Order: sequence, then C-alpha cells, then structure tokens
Amino acid sequence: MTMAHGRWNWAASGGIEMLTGILSLDNFTQFWIERICGLPYQCCFKMATSTSTPTHPPVRISLIAGRYLVFDIDAVMVLRRSFGLCGVLTGTMPQNPTQNLFLSMPQELRAEEARLVVDRGAGYVADEAGDHLRLLKEMSSGVGEKRREGYLRELREKRVAAKRLFDEEKEAVRRMHEGKRGKGKNKVQKVEEGGGGDSLFETATAVQPAPKEDLPAITPSTSNAMLDPAGTSGAIADENLPEPSAFYRELNKRGYFTTPGLRFGGGYSVYPSDPFKFHAHYLSSCYGWDEKILMLDIVTSGRLGTAVKKSFMFGAEREEEEGGKKRGEGEVRMFCVEWAGM
Amino acid sequence: MALDDDDNPALAAPPPTANTTTATPDAPAEETAEDLLEDEGAAAQDFRVFASLFKKNTHISAQTIRKGEKDFESHGTQLQADTLEQSRAAMQEVLSYTRIHSGANLVRGWYFPSWWADYEEGEEWQDSKAEDGKKERKPFGHIRDRVVILEGSSTSTQNLGRAVTGQAKDRPGRGRDWLLPEEALYLVERGSLDLWWPTKEFGEIFPPPPAAPVEREAPQPENTDVDPSTQPTGASEDKEDEYADGFPLSLQAAYALLIGLDGTRGKISLQKFQVYSNLKRCGYNVLRAPPNPPNPNQSSYRLNITIKNFFSSLLPSFTPSPPKSGPLLKPGLYRSYNQIFSQLSLIERHIPSPVLPLPLPSIAPYEIHFLVWKSSQKWTKLRHPSPDFYLSVVDAQESEVPQMEEILGLLEQTPWAPPKREWEGNHGRLYARLKNGWRNVLMAVVDHGVINYMRWGEGGFGQERIYERFDGRNGSYRGGKRGWGNQGRGGRGGRGGGRGRGRGRGRGG
Repeated sequence: MTMAHGRWNWAASGGIEMLTGILSLDNFTQFWIERICGLPYQCCFKMATSTSTPTHPPVRISLIAGRYLVFDIDAVMVLRRSFGLCGVLTGTMPQNPTQNLFLSMPQELRAEEARLVVDRGAGYVADEAGDHLRLLKEMSSGVGEKRREGYLRELREKRVAAKRLFDEEKEAVRRMHEGKRGKGKNKVQKVEEGGGGDSLFETATAVQPAPKEDLPAITPSTSNAMLDPAGTSGAIADENLPEPSAFYRELNKRGYFTTPGLRFGGGYSVYPSDPFKFHAHYLSSCYGWDEKILMLDIVTSGRLGTAVKKSFMFGAEREEEEGGKKRGEGEVRMFCVEWAGM
Repeated sequence: MALDDDDNPALAAPPPTANTTTATPDAPAEETAEDLLEDEGAAAQDFRVFASLFKKNTHISAQTIRKGEKDFESHGTQLQADTLEQSRAAMQEVLSYTRIHSGANLVRGWYFPSWWADYEEGEEWQDSKAEDGKKERKPFGHIRDRVVILEGSSTSTQNLGRAVTGQAKDRPGRGRDWLLPEEALYLVERGSLDLWWPTKEFGEIFPPPPAAPVEREAPQPENTDVDPSTQPTGASEDKEDEYADGFPLSLQAAYALLIGLDGTRGKISLQKFQVYSNLKRCGYNVLRAPPNPPNPNQSSYRLNITIKNFFSSLLPSFTPSPPKSGPLLKPGLYRSYNQIFSQLSLIERHIPSPVLPLPLPSIAPYEIHFLVWKSSQKWTKLRHPSPDFYLSVVDAQESEVPQMEEILGLLEQTPWAPPKREWEGNHGRLYARLKNGWRNVLMAVVDHGVINYMRWGEGGFGQERIYERFDGRNGSYRGGKRGWGNQGRGGRGGRGGGRGRGRGRGRGG
C-alpha cells in the first residue's frame, strides 16, 4: 500500500512524462494525473482533516430528495483517485442502454461519504432541486439572461463540435470505402487506414459547419454551464449534513474503499484499494462502544463472510465525553472474525 | 471465487475475448503517441477531447474496465498500478460520453410540472371501446403525476406515456403523450429524449388546434418551433431562434426536477427510479401500481369458491379434539397412518384462501409500487394481461424486515396466484408448489443504488399432507422422511420461496 503511494509521489515530483510513457495514457488522463498528483496524494490518506488547497474545482455533490449524487465525471475521478471514494454508479449507460453490468453517471454516495468530502475541503453539497428551480426561473424570466446566453453558447459549441466529428467520421468512412474500391484488400488498405489519421485532421480544418443549421441536439451530463464556475451555489451548511461514523472515517483514512454491504449482509464491503483491481477483504458492521453484540450476530456474519471469502470486521469508536475530543476523533477499534471451520 | 460479487458470470469474459481485450489498452497507447506527436496543434487536442465525449466507444466494455483477475492486495508493482490506471482511464473515457440526438431520432419533451395538477382523479377507471364493441377499463393513468409532454411520438412511446383523453377540443396540447417522471428520466438517461425547460406558457408552445379538424401532420419538432404563426417572435436573435420557447436541460437538471421525496406530486424517489430503470434495462414492462388497487381478492374471485372449498375450510372444527389430559392418540387398532396423523395435527394451520373476508391494508413502505410484466410482443401500455409480478420498493437503511401484518398486508393486495395446475397431485412437484406459494410479491431492497430482489410467498404447508402417502403399497419410506423435514420448516411461518438471501443487518449505514 505505502509502496504504491511512494511511487505515485515520485511520479508527482517530476516524472510525469516518464509516467505517461510507461502507463501509455491518453492526453486527457495525463491531464488528470497532473492535476491529482499536484495534490498531496499521500496526505489525503494519512491526514483525515487535511484541507490542502485543492487543485481541482470543488466537487459538487447534488443532494436530491435525501440522496447524494455526483454528475460530473471529472469529480468522480477526483473522488476515486485521491479520496478513496468509489460510490455506486447508478445510471443507465446511453451507449448501451440494455445492459445492467456496468452502469453510468450519476454516482451515488452515502451521506457520510458526502460529509467526508466536505470536511476535506474538496467539495460541497448543494440542494440541487432548489438551486435548479431558482436558476431556471431566473433564466426564463430575463433576470438571468446572461446566464442563459452563456449556457446556450456552451451548448452550441458542443453541438458544433459533435457535428464536426460526425462529418469527419462520415468522411473517413467514405474515404475508407473509396480506398477499398480502388485498391487491393490487405496491406494496401492498412496503409490507407494509417494515413487516415492525417486526413482526418486535414478535413477537420477544411470542413466547416454548414451554414444551414442542422446541428444535432445534445443533452449535457451536467448543468455546469449553467452554474457559476467554481461557485458554490445552493450549498448546504456543513452542520446540516450527517456526520460520518468514526468507523468509516478510520477506514477511509487508512486507504480502504467501501461499497454498500447489501450484497454480503453487512454495513459495508471493504476493499483494500480500488474495487476495480481488488476483491473485498472484509464485510463490516459498525457498533456503539457500549453496545452489546449478540453472539449470534457474530456467528452469522462471520460464517457469511467466510462463505464469500471475506472476514467479518466489526468495530466501534470509544466515546470520550469530557476528554476534549470531539465525536469522530476518538479511538476506533476493529476486530475481525473468521469462521475456523474446525 | 464464484461467490464474490464482482465475479459476475456474465462479466467473466470468454477466453478469446479476454485476449482481445488485453490488446485494447494498446490502442490508447498508439493514440497517445499520435497525440504527443501532434501536441503542438491545439485543434488536434480539442478534437481528441471531443472525440472521447461523443464517440460511443463500443470497444470499451465492462471487460476492459474490469480487466483481468483481481488481485488480493496491493503489492506495489508497476504492473498493478498500470492495470488499475488503465481501468480507471477506460472508465473515465466511457463515462465522459455526452448524449447526442441526431436529427432523425430526436424526441423532445417539455417539462410542465403543473399542467395536470388540478386534474380530477375521480375518473380513475375510464372506459374505452375495444374492438368487439365491449367497453373495457383503462389502467389507472396517474395523470396528476405526469409532468413531461412529448412532441411527436417515437418507438419508446408505445410502451411509455399516456395521452389524456376526454379533454375539451380547444384544450392546448390535446392528444399528446405525457410521461411520468420515471419514464421521462429513464428516456433522458438512455439518450432517447431531449428534455427542455419551457420559457413560455404551455398554450404558446402547444397551441390549441384550430377549429378545423386537426390535420394529422407529422408532429416534427420544427413544426412548433419554426412555424411563425404559432409563436410570436421572441426577443432573441435570429440564430438563437430555436431557443425561443425554451432550452434543453442537462441530465443533472432532469434528476433535480424529477426526483423527489415519496409522495411529492410529479416526482419519484431515487430508490424507486433506480429499481424502475433496472427493470427496464432488463427488458421488463413496468407500470406504476394504482394507488388504491381495487382489491382483486374480493370481487372477481368469488365464483371460484366451490362447495368442496367451503367444506374443507370448516373441516378443522369437526375433528374431535383429544381430552385435555391426554392421550394424544386414542387407544385402539389403527390400520392406516392417515387416522393417526390426522389426530396428531393439533395446531391449526394457515390455509390460503382465494377470498379474503377482510384483506389487511398495506402499511407503508410495504406497498405495491410497480406492476411488472415480462417482455412480450402483445403488451401495450393500455391493454395488457394481469401483471406477472407485483413489486414493492423499500430502502435498506430506513426499513426493517417487515412484521407479520406488514407482509400480510402486502401479500393480500396481490391476487390469488395458486401453483400451476400441472403441479397438482403429483408428490414430485411438492416443492414447486411450496416454492410458488398461493400469493406472492417481490420486494426490491435498495442500498444506495445496489438493488436486491426478494420474493415473499404465502406458503401453504398445511395443504401438503405428506402422511397421506404413507399408506400406499410398500409405503415409500424415504419420501416420508423427506416430508417430515419439510413440514418442520413449514412450522416456521411459511417463508415461501425465500432463498435465504436476506437483506442482512443493514447496520452501520
């Protein structure tokens, strides 16, 4: 774990080119690596309340009907890469709307995850319905005329870009077919395709969007173009957000990723790192320090965990009333149970 | 590994594909090299960004994102970091996609949340003429909750939306399809609907039809947009003319407008929407359940009570009870097990009945929220058979395992669904009968976007008299034994077909 972090840090300290060379990433990702590595990556994990100056725009977490959602893919990547939050992707994937295996935006966060992001100074929670209604009404009444124009301008830029891309793709296909007709099948065509990259960009400058406006319509994923850049409109005061349990805070601090534990019958499934690459090690439940735990609970959860190759982890926070320590900063103890199967 | 969540068998790539997917990450590598070469051209970079936004990237699938075997733990190698980074980059690329509606398949919807707010829900069960002249009831429309009006129609509106009939001829927007919030949001999310925020009054965008009979013009969006007669020219400049009536909303805005707390008119809770879209993605037909379903258990099933049923329901009271001080079994000579066991059955068992004298009311949140049909060619939104499933949606954190009366209230809102006829009689189909139950209901438990479906059935263990076959010739002893075990389980309260995949403790949330 720490080894891996060390490597990242080294990468941040000047090896970006090398890193991308090794990792073979596209530009877009490289951009993000730069952004994120600029952030003290290790600190995020080591210090729970590091309010380092974030190099990314504040993550907007939309509170809609008591649920916490993130709509911006960049924000999702920030949370995943530097805050150890993977949430649950819940939306239908427009590219392939009949599959249920890998879902798309928005990403749902638990309330305590949202609070954690806010506490780290990385983002804010916004009352999305109220904020949107206010902005939309402004925009349609003339008060927000500027906002409306800005929004539509950005939309139009995207539409023009999409149109251009479509035209280029069409052009590329046409060329490919021409090449097929004109030349032989195998190697010649490959050369043609290789050269296609150049011709693609040539046409990019050549093809102008037609004066007759038949731009494709677009549904943007986020309302960012409508919101103030880097503003925190509709933000909800921190104290109105539920506190994360110290148990969860501790897990996150140690670099563990968690997902809802519904599948395995616990509070969380706990992963040693990104669930993309690792299996969950624990299924965990959080108790009160003085709460009596039924033996039967331990046996059932322990057995269940072992059956799915995980161990059952439970823990609690020691509550120190007068000790000066706030709730959420006390000592957290965790135990693991595995079915011995003797 | 088969038990792990992410090892979905469907996800496990077939070996040949696995090889090809290992090859795909090389593709970005080539592109990167290309990009580095062309980096000086800002236009090229622009193109690259936009390409990732609009291209469908069909070659990137779940396999690419979750490529290869998972590791047990981090061992700090470059290889591991690389594969993780590739997964993340692939995910980012796939999720950056922007929904595009190219001219042909553009369907536009407008958000008018309060158009039907005062609609009289009294006429819940409207009549409509069927082909044979008979009148039939239309399914409940939830008209008050319909907040998005569609311009024109598309393939998706065959199964979604509802036109409100019985409106005055000069009413604006007459005959158009209106969507429920979940339908609209589902369509927006799958990229089939362009949702717009109106900046004008409803009547201006959807002018009432002229006194002349409405010409069946193809309701192209341009008609309402560009037609100068229908709309006074706005103050906006010419090139922005298309935005004179309103402007498109983002997915985020659609969520903000359409998702709301339970019971808010014109909204749907996020949990219910997640279940709805999950089922729709699977291909089911889903409709909102009517708020107070006319109880199917009382009216139409009354004819089904036969005299035999009637007597069998009285039977327990005729069996003589043993004297209080025992013995349980009257002394005497017995020639069949039947006589013995019938004396031993002291505890009254639940007998499922098609007719409930007084069905329990359902108790929130254990109510039927969705009616679900398996996909079929014949299904239409107005004419369809009785539902295949009745579904209730509950939140994993906010609800407990239902109490007896809660689950009974839920079950008794569903119609009598006895085991199939071909399962009758044969002892071999005993388990099929027991698993099916006599009524059943599905429950979707949602934990922050993770959905778990459970099935609750009304068990009829008392109906299965195992001992009756003990008297058969050469009495098959084995069958008897199995029967015993089974009956023991029945005593625990008839959990029906529950497969024991409980929702867990739901703690620590």
